[in-house]
Amino acid sequence: MKSLAGSVDDLLPSLLSAFGPPGRESGVRAVLRRALRGLGRVTEDATGNLHLHRPGKGPRLLVAAPMDAPGVIVTRVDATGLARVAILGNRSPAELVGAALRFEDDARGILGCDRPKSGKNGTEMEADQLFLETGLGPKEANRRFRVGSVGAIEDRPIRLGDLWCASNLDNRAGCAAVVAALRAAGSPRYDLHVIFSAQSDAGARGAVTGAFGVDPEAAVVVDVAHVDPKETGGAAVGKGPCLGLKESGFLAHPEALALVKRAAAGAGVSTQWLIRESEGSDARAIRAARTGVPTALVAIPARRSGGPVSFVHARDIAQTASLMARLLTTPPKSKGGRR
Amino acid sequence: MSRDAGPPFEERFLETFSNAVGVSGGEETVRAAVVEAVQDHVDSLEVDAMGSLVARIAATGRRRGPHVMLCAHMDEVGVMVTGIESDGRLRFRKVGGIDSRILVGQVFRIGKNGLRGVAGTLPPHLISRADRDKVAAIEDLYLDIGAKSREEAQGRVAVGDYATFDTTYERWGDTRKGKAFDDRAGCAVLASVVLRRPPVPVTAVWSVQEEVGLRGAAGAARRVAPDLAVVLEGTASGEAPGLAPEESAPLMGAGPALTVQDRSLMADARLVDLIERTARRRKIPTQWKRPGVGGTDAGRIALSGAGVPAAVISVPCRYIHAPAAYLDIRDARRTVALVWHLLHSLTKEWP
Repeated sequence: MKSLAGSVDDLLPSLLSAFGPPGRESGVRAVLRRALRGLGRVTEDATGNLHLHRPGKGPRLLVAAPMDAPGVIVTRVDATGLARVAILGNRSPAELVGAALRFEDDARGILGCDRPKSGKNGTEMEADQLFLETGLGPKEANRRFRVGSVGAIEDRPIRLGDLWCASNLDNRAGCAAVVAALRAAGSPRYDLHVIFSAQSDAGARGAVTGAFGVDPEAAVVVDVAHVDPKETGGAAVGKGPCLGLKESGFLAHPEALALVKRAAAGAGVSTQWLIRESEGSDARAIRAARTGVPTALVAIPARRSGGPVSFVHARDIAQTASLMARLLTTPPKSKGGRR
Repeated sequence: MSRDAGPPFEERFLETFSNAVGVSGGEETVRAAVVEAVQDHVDSLEVDAMGSLVARIAATGRRRGPHVMLCAHMDEVGVMVTGIESDGRLRFRKVGGIDSRILVGQVFRIGKNGLRGVAGTLPPHLISRADRDKVAAIEDLYLDIGAKSREEAQGRVAVGDYATFDTTYERWGDTRKGKAFDDRAGCAVLASVVLRRPPVPVTAVWSVQEEVGLRGAAGAARRVAPDLAVVLEGTASGEAPGLAPEESAPLMGAGPALTVQDRSLMADARLVDLIERTARRRKIPTQWKRPGVGGTDAGRIALSGAGVPAAVISVPCRYIHAPAAYLDIRDARRTVALVWHLLHSLTKEWP
């Protein structure tokens, strides 16, 4: 199969810069809707998931890719015009210091942090040490920002050689891989449901309701995983898509895993294992949906910077897309019933 | 816009519900009080497997609209007797989130018969200077019912008995004092709303075990399968000396508090907008609950089935999860009015 690198590179910048904190995914939904034109029937559910259905003769397969990215919500605006925030999603306060933010009404700000008290270092920060500098006077700040205003990280992706450097790679890279795979796959051998899940970073909430609605016979989650050689089974950036064996609350289903492995072999993609203790992707929620769903996890490896930006290798995204395209076009070996 | 001012807030419900004892998992007394309050006004009434009370109310004649689930939890935080010592003192554990600092010295009502007991501690005379500023671990606390032996205590209490703060409802101007306003305030608002037949089909749920992990509402929502849900709460108002108003919000007396986000929920944006618009049209003051803290049944309801749009409307209460909470009776009245007018808005302004 030819490389899907070009397709991914076309999609990724607009996905990275799209607005979409957990529960406020309107921006990224709009970008995905445009990208999915002609690929199937697209709807939106009560949780905010974007759902694509491409009817087919095979088993009902769910492909899920989280689409939300971390952001902040304003908790109060003080008399000087500085705003305080709580974090939406799974980021530590220290990782957001210096992040540029854009709000729903296009208001902008930068996250700073109060000088840590009593010699505490940045990693011990509390969310209420973060402040939002708006550049506005008290009156104007109180007009533009109210309790509950939601801001997204304003991502300005940089490409260093083959490395994408951006804040929202988790999981816009996965979304790009899935869209590229759908475009390349032609006619899938499944009754295919794709969910770009909302509120994933707030505890896989979109996956809970999305999987219930689809009631799939098998599922593959496509996500980004932050890897660390010591903690995640030796997985490293640039060495191919990771196949998830274990994360908190999730163990790969053998048949679903076999499906993914077969697709990787067929696409000529070398893979690595992902084993982590942390609570990760939507896989846990989908695995436990209804009476249980055989579920596999394909994760694009990423490296943290300790600040807002992460690093992902472009080839890992393209290979994930190739793997998924192959999976969709390979007939399932048997009627994969529920376990 | 109709001139209908909506049903009144029935303060007698708040008084009865607040005085009733119903620690998570032992909500029977509160449930009986709610049944008594609403049974002549609803079309069906049942208790589900978890213990939640589910009442269905058909809409008035010709109006159509979404099927709305309104939910308030009956349970309150408290403690449970876990052991009886040979000297007649009772060991206990918390049920739900209680700050350990407030337990010592409190009078509790224990078991079905409301037996009184004190969470005992030594008087300051007998505590070493070093220990005076420490918070006693729950393992070191006991309830003293005045029994002198295990045998004497066993005749009056049993392991597994619940206990809650011994607090009686009172009226002080617009302020009301009582225990368990989280969420008997919501229970009373909900009971007041369903006394009048709504313009859209409503299923009212008085849920159980909210304080120990939002357990009751999840099952109820699956069965009710509503088009949308509004949870009615008594939420924490944070006024304290030295804090600016924006640090203390929501404030008691400043109107119902609306939720954008908490740890369990991103409230449905369209539903929150509609609540806000309805309040503005009806000149009901509202305020925002501070995001990032707390969690409610709405979080579980939102994730039931294939997903349910959900929001929360709260009566701001000072000192929740403590022996005596305060609320402003005007906020309770405004909350009933807001919920009622929201039901009307939903007939026209919900897809």
